[in-house]
Amino acid sequence: MPAKTDLKERYGQAVAALTASMHADDEVAFATALGGFPDTAESTLRTDLRELTENLRFALDRFSTDSRLADLAEKEVPDARHRLEHVLKLTDEAAHATLDLVERSGPLAERTGVRAAGILPLWQRFRDRNIEQKDFQILLAAMDAFLPSARADSEQVRNNLAEVLMAQGYQDISGQIIRGVMQLVTEIEIVLVSLMRLSSVESVRAAPAAATSSRGHGPVVPGVDHGKVVSGQQDVDALLSGLGM
Amino acid sequence: MKFLVVDDFSTMRRIIKNLLHDLGYANVTEADDGQTALPMLQGGNFDFLITDWNMPGMPGLDLLKAVRADAKLKQMPVLMLTAESKREQIVEAAQAGVNGYVIKPFTAVTLKEKIDKILESRAGAK
Repeated sequence: MPAKTDLKERYGQAVAALTASMHADDEVAFATALGGFPDTAESTLRTDLRELTENLRFALDRFSTDSRLADLAEKEVPDARHRLEHVLKLTDEAAHATLDLVERSGPLAERTGVRAAGILPLWQRFRDRNIEQKDFQILLAAMDAFLPSARADSEQVRNNLAEVLMAQGYQDISGQIIRGVMQLVTEIEIVLVSLMRLSSVESVRAAPAAATSSRGHGPVVPGVDHGKVVSGQQDVDALLSGLGM
Repeated sequence: MKFLVVDDFSTMRRIIKNLLHDLGYANVTEADDGQTALPMLQGGNFDFLITDWNMPGMPGLDLLKAVRADAKLKQMPVLMLTAESKREQIVEAAQAGVNGYVIKPFTAVTLKEKIDKILESRAGAK
């Protein structure tokens, strides 16, 4: 058996070249380095190194083709972006709808107040029994105009308030979408942690299964595939009536 | 008439409660998921259940099944008010015995229509 110094002298350079090319994943340099081995130990070493290279390649292949990771990166992350964009749109629309209704209601309430204030002095004189016939006629005309308009305005304000109430429904829909994206983030975290722990050729395990149908799938997001969904309440009614309901 | 409204979002419960008030139903109680709702239903003499589907804890479909499996509650009218709009889910809810299905976003008119329809068919059956 040759002495250690001999081994270093004879193989040191070739092994260093092999290691460097393997780390660089450079096949050509690797083959050249293998060809550079000087003696009979060459074939055994070559077999071991070939096996090592294959294992390395296998691990890299598993890493790059892992279907869950590919799914997350290619489909679900862009889908999540789409979902969050939809949340932005929903909140924006709800805020504008609410502001519009408040802006439309303010002048109606103000108009009622101003008209009532305009009538009050004459009304007070009437209550004090200190009003002339001519002013009484003016008061009557003012009351005739005011009462129906106050009724119409307050009804409109009441309707606007009901619409403001309905506009708050966005919070439910957007909350559900955000919760779905949060689940996706958790799933990505699990996959990334598995990757970090990946030793040699172990594959990355598939992420937890999707929610069961009993739990629900959440709201439909335009542009995201949800399978067969109804287009609105009429569609639901038609479906249920088809089932005899 | 005593209503129980089950939804995990308090804003949605408020909306439904307000709409029910406008329709003349003043006796409305709230629960935030099926798990909370079921014991309330079992002990509370409710006449009508309105429930969401997608909720943490016990989802609405499981609540519906639990109601139908309970000897005391099985006749209770159940209206599902949900954003779940897959056809297979609506069929599943119908098979589980739901009396009405309204999808979100919904209108006050639709809610009124469905409640009236359920109550009418109940009255007719008696």
